[in-house]
Amino acid sequence: MSILECFSSQSEISIQQRCGIINIQGSNHPFIIVINCICIISFQVTHYKQYPPNTTKVYSYFECRAKKTESTKIQKVKYDKTVFYGLQYILHKYLKGKVVTPQKITEAKEVYREHFQDDVFNEKGWEYILEKYDGHLPIEIKAVPEGSVIPRGNVLFTVESTDPECYWLTNWVETILVQIWYPITVATNSREQKKILARYLLETSGNQDKLEYKLHDFGYRGVSSQETAGIGASAHLVNFKGTDTVAGICVIKKYYGTKDPVPGFSVPAAEHSTITAWGKDHEKDAFEHIVRQFPNVPVSIVSDSYDIYNACEKIWGEDLRSLIESRSADAPLVIRPDSGDPLDTVLKVLEILGRKFCTTENSRGYKVLPPYIRVIQGDGVDINTLQEIVAGMKKHRWSIENVGFGSGGALLQKLTRDLLSCCFKCSFVVTNGLGLNVFKDPVADPNKRSKKGRLSLHRTPTGDFVTLEEGKGSLEENGPDLLHTVFRNGVILKTYTFDEVRDNAKIRDCDLEESVD
Amino acid sequence: MAAQDFNILLATDSYKITHYKQYPPNVSKVYSYFECRRKRGGTQFSEIVFFGLQYLLKKYLSGRVITEEKIQEAKVFYQMHFRQTVFDEEGWRKVLEKYDGRLPIRIKAVPEGKIIPRGNVLFTVENTDPDFFWLTNYIETMLVQMWYPISVATISREFKKILAKHLKATSGSLEGLDFKLHDFGYRGVSSQESAALGGAAHLVNFCSTDTVAGLLMAQRYYGCPMAGFSMPAAEHSTIISWGRSREKEAFESMLDQFPTGPVSVVSDSYDIFKACRHIWGDKLKERVIERSEDSCLIIRPDSGDPAETLIEVIKILEECFGCSLNSQGFKVLPSYLRIIQGDGIDLNSVDEILEKLSDEGWSAENVFFGCGSALLQKLNRDTLNCAFKCSYVEINGKGMDVYKQPVTDPSKGSKRGLLSLRRNSDDFIETVERGVGKPEEDMLVIVFENGSIVQEYTLEEIRKNARLLEDYMAPSQHNQDEPKSLEPHQKHIMNGVH
Repeated sequence: MSILECFSSQSEISIQQRCGIINIQGSNHPFIIVINCICIISFQVTHYKQYPPNTTKVYSYFECRAKKTESTKIQKVKYDKTVFYGLQYILHKYLKGKVVTPQKITEAKEVYREHFQDDVFNEKGWEYILEKYDGHLPIEIKAVPEGSVIPRGNVLFTVESTDPECYWLTNWVETILVQIWYPITVATNSREQKKILARYLLETSGNQDKLEYKLHDFGYRGVSSQETAGIGASAHLVNFKGTDTVAGICVIKKYYGTKDPVPGFSVPAAEHSTITAWGKDHEKDAFEHIVRQFPNVPVSIVSDSYDIYNACEKIWGEDLRSLIESRSADAPLVIRPDSGDPLDTVLKVLEILGRKFCTTENSRGYKVLPPYIRVIQGDGVDINTLQEIVAGMKKHRWSIENVGFGSGGALLQKLTRDLLSCCFKCSFVVTNGLGLNVFKDPVADPNKRSKKGRLSLHRTPTGDFVTLEEGKGSLEENGPDLLHTVFRNGVILKTYTFDEVRDNAKIRDCDLEESVD
Repeated sequence: MAAQDFNILLATDSYKITHYKQYPPNVSKVYSYFECRRKRGGTQFSEIVFFGLQYLLKKYLSGRVITEEKIQEAKVFYQMHFRQTVFDEEGWRKVLEKYDGRLPIRIKAVPEGKIIPRGNVLFTVENTDPDFFWLTNYIETMLVQMWYPISVATISREFKKILAKHLKATSGSLEGLDFKLHDFGYRGVSSQESAALGGAAHLVNFCSTDTVAGLLMAQRYYGCPMAGFSMPAAEHSTIISWGRSREKEAFESMLDQFPTGPVSVVSDSYDIFKACRHIWGDKLKERVIERSEDSCLIIRPDSGDPAETLIEVIKILEECFGCSLNSQGFKVLPSYLRIIQGDGIDLNSVDEILEKLSDEGWSAENVFFGCGSALLQKLNRDTLNCAFKCSYVEINGKGMDVYKQPVTDPSKGSKRGLLSLRRNSDDFIETVERGVGKPEEDMLVIVFENGSIVQEYTLEEIRKNARLLEDYMAPSQHNQDEPKSLEPHQKHIMNGVH
């Protein structure tokens, strides 16, 4: 039974019966290794047949579209600018060098024959690449430098085929390249949170000390895969230095490089099992034991296993008070609540600790706990609750020096391609030797209109960014194109170190200009 | 066999490196479990599909996962990451020496594909050797990522329930159900690996996908040679590259290039309504009509309000091509013509769209759906409240039930003691705590022990376990949110509610 019959079959048979009936040739064939480049989204396999005849070039671009019309959802955070990050990872891991072999072509052909129940795979096209380019991809990618902070609605990178026979290749690599939405979105969202923290820290303490440790990555378990953890955690480290998602550091070391031995740090910390394993009546013993294990570095102790307020008031505030007071400013106890309304819990915990351990007033008139005790809120933290908590603390005259934050799902998982409207679109083709600016412009959604022709990114005399369309960027009067060729015909031509990425993405004074409530 | 270059010592939350120093002295066993907690106030998703553990076991946990090189790599790394020596080098070397680098861990789990009500234990993890009590929660980070395939498979199945409901109501049968929801999510997920895992999870319930990575995953880890199918389809670039004034030529070329088999053509590049009325419905009408049922044209809108656009499109197509009535009295387009809506689809919009279609007299047979981020990315660990918690320890040879019970959030309370899962006499699935469960009733099966996978499932078995029940719309076979008919002590046992 073929897929065609599956669609139109009158008989009510189950999935397993349908797939079982279909005779898979070579079903004893050893499992196919996940192929880098051939492993793409199915319908794109058939696109080489769909372009106009005699097409010799397809040129596409990637942007984080600006929303021109008001969306129905009210977004508290605007995300006017995005951090460009993550292309280097994709180039190194999936696109550079020899990406096809005869064996991979054969295997792909078999997979697609069964998947489409038809021979639609462009075997000849891939064999051409194998022969002429030794399996290297004849495409050219030009991109803004990694770490660049660019306003929405501008071209961020372009992709074009370099060989007339391989016009279809440009959009073949779309699926892989569009996944850059993820590191861009994590880095952008992380940076917006850094701006919030910077503003409130500055306002309530007069400086930005330890800003880079104020938002710790707790997201390893809450992402969808190991690979996502690595990419996402590395994107957060563009802006911060505190992480528990070890995989991110491995990605940075492997694909970007830093001058420092590692780009991210952590401290000893408890989890619920290391507290509850002592038994309900021994929470104090657990706390004491762990604090004593780590005398000379900051140690974070989750304190809500049974009753966070009792833990703060009685155990930390009374039973173990002298033990805590003897700790140095470099090795504070960091108390971690982990349940309840984030703002209410933080305020109540601060209030209790303030009573038990006293506070001083800093140069800006805000309360600070003694240097040997701090708080980390690592539950329910996203960009909105972060804003609420720091605003609430300020209102109650607490300096932001007192707290750090941890974020998991919201930092690394609760994001989609729609947040920054990331998309990849074709804007220029060459057919019958003639160049044509192409675009889409759906009547029902002006936001989805795409750019036309060859694109370039420039700085205006006032320092803003502008994307020039229809090849206008090549005119001298517009100044240099900020897009650099990073990849051509299988070779990576330009790389950035993580230090450069961090430098490009750093927060500037003008970013903090928005006034604090 | 787990991947060679993957270093499990670097695949955990940093703080867990320091936990071997934090457990009570003389602890010899740490026993933990995983569940999709119930949230107070009722839940949208009352039952889940258990899927994905076999992938983790095969890829990361089985066989020889520790080597001396990996220990050294981790030691150097953590020295710099913590700015002090805290890594348990000796502990890991013991794993290497005593077990040749295999993990002395036992994992018991619900069979994959099984449908389990929220709030029940799904798998348990314990160390099998007293020296390695710290290992149980070391692998928590990796195992908690089970939230993802479980959530995708569950959401995908919820889609299936909605589609089945409407299909049955408007056409009298469930024919074609397995192809009604097409996975469009590859580009919108966070990584290739997530695409593979999420794509495979969707294939537990459906057979149509464009996420090729999912097929390969199902093949490699779940023994299914070809788990899903697709069809030739256009994208905007293959239409707009013809130029604005040549949309008709672009469409016609699609029909020429793919004369047999279904073909999907995105038609909203400029004006979906004009495209339907003037191009498909007029200039190319003859070409469309001559296609057989097996080779239908599937028109794809991709912008505007999903429900309204669909209704308007189907009305235009009715005007141009006519329709017929099926056995239930609902309108069906001619068999050579269908629509696929692949923009803005989630559980709510799919229900809304089919509701509106049916209000207007249209059968669900007319449309297919494509779903991208709502299927594979717009999910997180809180969607089903997935959590891993320690429930039992042994210290000085004595067992103790442990738990957390934060006063600030009762829904975060955890289960206590050794756990098992059973069907009770009322045929409800329930978790038995405190070690009082009868082994012969336990639905949890040992799947992993001391580095070896001892129980495997094929996608075929998984699909069978996860199939929709015939009468899924009838009173549930599973626990109600508020079990009114139960005795208080029964309520206490079930789902660990205290």
